[in-house]
Amino acid sequence: MSEPQSALLLRKQLAELNKNPVEGFSAGLIDDNDIYRWEVLIIGPPDTLYEGGFFKCHLYFPKEYPLKPPKMKFITEIWHPNIDKNGDVCISILHEPGDDKFGYEKASERWLPVHTVETILISVISMLADPNDESPANVDAAKEWREHYSEFKRKVARCVRKSQEEC
Amino acid sequence: MGNCLKRSTTDDISLLRGSDSVRESSSDQLGQPYQEPIPAEDVSPVYYPSPSVSRSVVQLTEEEQVKIAKRIGLIQNLPIGTYDGCKKERECVICMVEFLVGDTVRCLPCMHTYHMKCIDGWLMRSLTCPSCLEPVDAALLTSYETT
Ligand SMILES: [Zn+2]
Ligand SMILES: [Zn+2]
Repeated sequence: MSEPQSALLLRKQLAELNKNPVEGFSAGLIDDNDIYRWEVLIIGPPDTLYEGGFFKCHLYFPKEYPLKPPKMKFITEIWHPNIDKNGDVCISILHEPGDDKFGYEKASERWLPVHTVETILISVISMLADPNDESPANVDAAKEWREHYSEFKRKVARCVRKSQEEC
Repeated sequence: MGNCLKRSTTDDISLLRGSDSVRESSSDQLGQPYQEPIPAEDVSPVYYPSPSVSRSVVQLTEEEQVKIAKRIGLIQNLPIGTYDGCKKERECVICMVEFLVGDTVRCLPCMHTYHMKCIDGWLMRSLTCPSCLEPVDAALLTSYETT
């Protein structure tokens, strides 16, 4: 039986990431028999509030990948404006393109079929360092980040500590 | 943002290939014949009046049908070629597979080249080049006006 293109492409990326690991995260499969479901461990980026943490995430790829983006979920508890309380990541590059009639200028921020596990993780890691509070997924975290930064820091520090214990 | 909605759709871009004279899709990477998406018997094709809106063909309004027909027309008018081994690009960045001599490729106005079967599904969702984000339709429309 021949594999669909999406499976071949994901297999290729997995082999490449195993051969040449990328700094900041490590990637594997949740279940070795299912190439569409990945488990990624993000190392809290240095010089951010998340430094020292180890955050386990899952990536769920659709069969239509790379035409459609995967969904990403933090399994380790995390407090961040762009990650909702269930752990679901809400960033624009994981959103399908909007109506492109007048939307060219935004196309670069949306999903593109050239995105890979590596480019997605790089975006997510930079989101940890630099939250976007314009359309937050966790409204409370966004409010704290803007107005009660010390409380925000305290909550993040607690998540970082917890993530170290779970590791 | 605020677009984290759950959606599930199936793809069908077979319409694009319907009347193509160039159908050398048998020369796939790894030598496997390209499989046309086979819609299940009771599922009609799904179209994207806007890339993030998907409907089956029976649910489309007349306006959306016109829009999709235009889009298909635009895509079909983009040049198709056969990879001859002397293009600058060696790999299709969508599937990350090297082009093989004889592969059917589509060349966008920005000169970026992809396997036809890889780029067509994307263009039905978004008329932009995935590599340089140049809009495909504007370039094409102006090139029409001058000829
Ligand atoms: Zn390709
Ligand atoms: Zn291009």
